[in-house]
Amino acid sequence: MDTTSNPLVEPQIFDSLRLELRRGCLIVAVLAQLRVEHYGYTLRKALADQGLAIEESTLYPLLRRLETQQLLTSQWREEDKRNKRFYKLSPEGETILVQLLAEWNGINDSVNNILQHSDQRLIP
Amino acid sequence: MNPTSDLLARYLQAIGDHLPAASRDDVLAELRANLQAQMDDRAEELNRPLTDAEVAGVLRDHGRPIVVAARYLPQQYLIGPAIFPYYLMTLRKAAPFALILIFLANCANILFVHTMPELIAGILRALGQLIPDLLIFAAWITVAFVIAEYVYTSNNAKPFCASWDPTKLPAIKPQIKGKSRASRIFDLIFHCLWILYVLAIPGHPFLILGPGEIALRAFPVTLAPAWQTFYVLLLVLLAFQLITKIVALNTSYDRGQAVLDLVTKLFGIATTAYLVTMKTYFVATGPSANLTMLANVNHWIGFGFRVVLLITLIDFLVEAWKLVRPSISARSLVF
Repeated sequence: MDTTSNPLVEPQIFDSLRLELRRGCLIVAVLAQLRVEHYGYTLRKALADQGLAIEESTLYPLLRRLETQQLLTSQWREEDKRNKRFYKLSPEGETILVQLLAEWNGINDSVNNILQHSDQRLIP
Repeated sequence: MNPTSDLLARYLQAIGDHLPAASRDDVLAELRANLQAQMDDRAEELNRPLTDAEVAGVLRDHGRPIVVAARYLPQQYLIGPAIFPYYLMTLRKAAPFALILIFLANCANILFVHTMPELIAGILRALGQLIPDLLIFAAWITVAFVIAEYVYTSNNAKPFCASWDPTKLPAIKPQIKGKSRASRIFDLIFHCLWILYVLAIPGHPFLILGPGEIALRAFPVTLAPAWQTFYVLLLVLLAFQLITKIVALNTSYDRGQAVLDLVTKLFGIATTAYLVTMKTYFVATGPSANLTMLANVNHWIGFGFRVVLLITLIDFLVEAWKLVRPSISARSLVF
């Protein structure tokens, strides 16, 4: 089906699919980045520096949710005369991250295989 | 308190208003630290303190307080994705039955009216009451499923319909086809014969009354004059049906034909409504007639026509629903 014929609909569909695609990837990225301890703001900066910008209003609640799932540990500590909550990957989080990365690589390989066997003209 | 701290404090307070007390202080302290760090970073970049407008800009980018707070709350819905398909299916399956029951209940009063305006007003009232009553029905179904969702999520249980057996799926439905051409021709011939029969009735009353016609002669009663009007209405109805059947002869069954059928049914309802309002079906032709018995006979005949009217109205609504249903998306049936 040709979706390029409707310029009004296409960006909406793309945004929605992009959001869906990013959602799972962000969790993997956050877990991986938190192998090194960070507090919310520096974590966001670190992710952005790696090319993965993420909104504060998405990241900060996500950190708390991952902590509730015991994938992260956190502690309040003073830094630069301010109390900050530092997060770090927990041992359970490390196990999950390894599993997620295996899944990620599996999906990546599968998609690449599919793309290689399909019409190469589809790849921009 | 400097303006920056004041604006930040007000922002955090606004977020706090939407957070549960148990986690409020912790969330706000963390947010404060992160926002403060972001502002410090920005001030360091600019090599000067942030202006009020710049602070407001940082907060604006962070999001509306109510939206920010909502992200810290667990995902909430009245009916979750596991139960929602069953909710939708129940609404769709139960709606036609509810429609009939509600309409029947609302129509009960037309059994006891005596004049055409009262009858029309009764039917209109019943129709007007349909939508509010259907909304109430849908609300009760929704409440039942909200409770089911609550029980499901509270117990972390499988939905009540989770287990299923593929071998119990219904058999493949036969493809609905319109009437064959032969069937439509036969239908037209039968209808023409039916019209001839009806046309012959005035000259040969035994065609409709049978042996009762001889018995009727023995009593000092006869058919009321209002039957003549009914007879004309019946002929108009038959003529209209004749036209639709001729039109249908060369066309397969489609929506247009279905609409014509509905119009015919509506005409039939109007004719039956006329019968209901006649009230007097037999009249005395002599002084020896038992007027009490005659009144009873007229009453019960009238009651019978009221029941027929109700049935034809329900039939009409069901057929109208069948016609309209395919063009209504399942999503639009959800309230």
